[in-house]
Amino acid sequence: MSQPLLEFRSLVKRFGGVTALDDFSMTLSSGEILGLIGPNGSGKTTSFNVLTGIYKATSGQVFFEGREITNAPARTVYEAGIVRTFQRSRLCLPLSIYDNIMIGDTSRLDQGLWSNLIARGGLNKQLDTSYRLARELVGTFSGHLADRMDQPVGALPMIERRRIEICRALISGPRLLLLDEPSAGMTHDETHQLMDDILAVRARGEGLSIIIVEHEMGVIERITDRCCVLSYGRKIAEGTYAEVAADPEVQNAYLGAD
Amino acid sequence: MDFGLIAQYVANGILLGTMYALVAVGFTLFFGVLDVIKFSHGDVLMLGTFIGFTAWLGLEAIGVSNPWLQLLGILLCSLGATALIGAAIAKWLVLPLKNAPQLNTLLITLTLGTAIREAVRLFYPNGSNPKAFPALLPDAAIEIGNFSLRADSVILVLAGLGLIGLLNLVINRTRLGLAIRAVAQDEETARIMGINYTLVVLATFALGSGVAAFAGVMNGLYYNEINFGMGLILGLIGFSAAIVGGLGNLYGAILGGFLFAGLQTVGAALLPFASAYKDVFAFAVVIALMAWKPTGLIPERSSDRV
Amino acid sequence: MTDLSLNSTDRPRPWRTGAIVILAAGVYGWALIMAEETWQVLGLLVLALVAVLIGFKTGQVKQVHQAWAGSEPRLNRLAFATLIALILALSQEHFALLMVTTVLLYFVAAMGLNIQFGFAGMVNFAGAAFFGAGAYTAAVLGNVTAFPPLLTLVAGGLVALVLSIPLLVPIVRTTGHYAAVVTIAFGVLFRTFLEVNEILGGPQGLMVAPMRLFGWDFNNSPVIAGFEMSFYANYALLAAVLAALVFTLLRRLERSWIGLHMDAVRLDETAAACFGISIKRTKITAFLMGNLILGVSGALYGMMISFIAPASFAFSDSLLMVSIVLLGGLGSPWGAAVAATIVILLPEKLQLLQEYRFLLFSVLVILVLLFRPDGLLPRQLRNFFASRRAGK
Repeated sequence: MSQPLLEFRSLVKRFGGVTALDDFSMTLSSGEILGLIGPNGSGKTTSFNVLTGIYKATSGQVFFEGREITNAPARTVYEAGIVRTFQRSRLCLPLSIYDNIMIGDTSRLDQGLWSNLIARGGLNKQLDTSYRLARELVGTFSGHLADRMDQPVGALPMIERRRIEICRALISGPRLLLLDEPSAGMTHDETHQLMDDILAVRARGEGLSIIIVEHEMGVIERITDRCCVLSYGRKIAEGTYAEVAADPEVQNAYLGAD
Repeated sequence: MDFGLIAQYVANGILLGTMYALVAVGFTLFFGVLDVIKFSHGDVLMLGTFIGFTAWLGLEAIGVSNPWLQLLGILLCSLGATALIGAAIAKWLVLPLKNAPQLNTLLITLTLGTAIREAVRLFYPNGSNPKAFPALLPDAAIEIGNFSLRADSVILVLAGLGLIGLLNLVINRTRLGLAIRAVAQDEETARIMGINYTLVVLATFALGSGVAAFAGVMNGLYYNEINFGMGLILGLIGFSAAIVGGLGNLYGAILGGFLFAGLQTVGAALLPFASAYKDVFAFAVVIALMAWKPTGLIPERSSDRV
Repeated sequence: MTDLSLNSTDRPRPWRTGAIVILAAGVYGWALIMAEETWQVLGLLVLALVAVLIGFKTGQVKQVHQAWAGSEPRLNRLAFATLIALILALSQEHFALLMVTTVLLYFVAAMGLNIQFGFAGMVNFAGAAFFGAGAYTAAVLGNVTAFPPLLTLVAGGLVALVLSIPLLVPIVRTTGHYAAVVTIAFGVLFRTFLEVNEILGGPQGLMVAPMRLFGWDFNNSPVIAGFEMSFYANYALLAAVLAALVFTLLRRLERSWIGLHMDAVRLDETAAACFGISIKRTKITAFLMGNLILGVSGALYGMMISFIAPASFAFSDSLLMVSIVLLGGLGSPWGAAVAATIVILLPEKLQLLQEYRFLLFSVLVILVLLFRPDGLLPRQLRNFFASRRAGK
């Protein structure tokens, strides 16, 4: 069996008296789409935050492509090819769509003082290329938005903002995409469309791996290869959607014991 | 070792520390309750002190010459006026801006402080010159070797510390204090629990401001002089003290106040040929402390929901 | 890129609107500076207010924005030319030129602060300290006559830069009001140090040697075509060049990846870090760049007024600089220009305001922060392609 892309080994995260992640272990293979589900407060977003370096793990380890990245700073995690969206949309509202997407492309952009301020030939080329690529990417999700790349994101409705946030994550051609409740606030159709678009982008690339936190089970059922179910920070089930949906412990966690 | 000299430094340091702590405590209370930095704090206490001074002029004019009565009059007027002004600023400037970015409130209150300072300088009769504050406390001094302990400094320190202790009691032992602490921890829950949010906030601002006014009066009684700029440096030091000690924590503010005074004293003592550098020394240490502990010595326990 | 093309009949008009505004501003500026009587000044102020209101109502303001969006390089050049023309028109008025140069240098300082505050979100309450560091450098180097004066400007910037270095660790590690303490403490520290230190003149201050360019002493009045100009004209022209350079630098910075990262750090540090932006590097770049600019403008200022004292570089002066940035609009260089003009020029023209200026500006800043927090000329959306798509 080939090396997993991502591995959590007995991750524990405590906040004072609260144990948000309790001995959480899981693996993700390259190219897989994994669903991370569980009731509110079960630690799903916390696992993202620990992975991306926003929180320090209390104990346990994280491995990516065989290398240990436990408690690596956020920048290092990004450079390794892991990107994310946020539960509470975190875009720079006063900035334009193009600006926001370019924030996601840091690894490919030249940040030297000389080339940015004095001899800007290379910068101008990068601007042209990246504008075109950003526009194409946004166009996959919304032709309407692609014509408005210079509009401030703050003027957009929530659903459009989510699309932009996903584009920001995808622009750098990442290895692993972490989606945190991408469909919140969307209708069934909009969610369906969004997932199709994400899969389309994925198909064009080299097998993007995805971990998706979702409450809408239709999405999980449709696009994931496997699921992990969390409850109070502990993994209580793992398997395909059909398997975990039938698991009585999972049902208890969501609905409560009789 | 010249113990007399050391004792002098120490006594001075304790006096200053009490003054700074009185101001710092206000900053930390305001931050605890509303997450704001009310930068006009220093200048408001200056205004209150001027009001107290005016009250004294009034008392003199109507023939009240008993120093203790005068003192009482001054204290009542300045502490009372400052408390009211502090609460008024909270009501009309700070509360309405609750949801604006924190920096805005800092900047607005900072500018307000400047406005108050300039207003006093321009509109108070002969405002730009220092005023001779009456020496109302006993003149006596206790001689211990070559160290002269002024009675008034002892009284002031004891009163100041007593006031801080009283504030501490109010915060920790009374229902109002409980309400203040509840609002400081979690506004929404406190509201749900039936606490009158606005009233608690106004009370906090009144308390913090009134307490700080005593620092202004202390300054006046000890140095026998007040001027329109005294609030600025007191405010800056009080702010630095509150931050270094750890915002939101009462003990942190007291610690910060005495720490700063200690730094000034140590600076003056270490560099006797250039004791004027004490402020340079003190502020340099503040910067170093911020480099070491970016959220203060007793760190702020905040969480950013990701 | 579809909706930015303007058809050929539309193209000339926006440009013209922008040009008219620039020329009108130039004439207005000249009139304001030359006005002697209070009623004249007040009349001009009312005129400006009315013109701006009409501009908003009739949509002319929008046209001006479009003009700049479409023809920025040309309009900027026109603005610079108008500035030079204004300086030459005032070439025999000592005091007028002194005012213009002061406005220009405070404008440059405000741009430095804008990099720190407007872009990277770092408030600097020690702006006057770094400005003063430049001035004091000019004073010290000027007394060592061998040092080439133009390099003195650079040296002023470098000294400010070096003074920033001890602050880097705390400034990077802190945010918001904690960061504020760092610069406030430094500002007080700086001024106290100058007052106490006898070598640098103490509270009485220092004389500063004048600027000399290629052997030409700036304190000599230039004579062109038989007209003897005020010696301040030298400084004014040099300040104008400096302002243009720093303005260009600021625009380039904004329209670069570094500028984008500064905005990202200001608006959402956590997200910025998650996308690989180095918070440390961004903040350090902004802080150092801003202080360098402050130092350079301070050095030229020192040389111009030829006498400096610690009292000119106090906390209230730093506050005044921050006020200019806030009044104009965070991150908006044109806003800073207008604000600097108002803050420096008005108290001089309305003598009765002189005493009250700190009070009045405090009230003005409070009002702006309450009711128009984006400033007088709010920062516009970043336009990466402004200089290149011009005249499409």
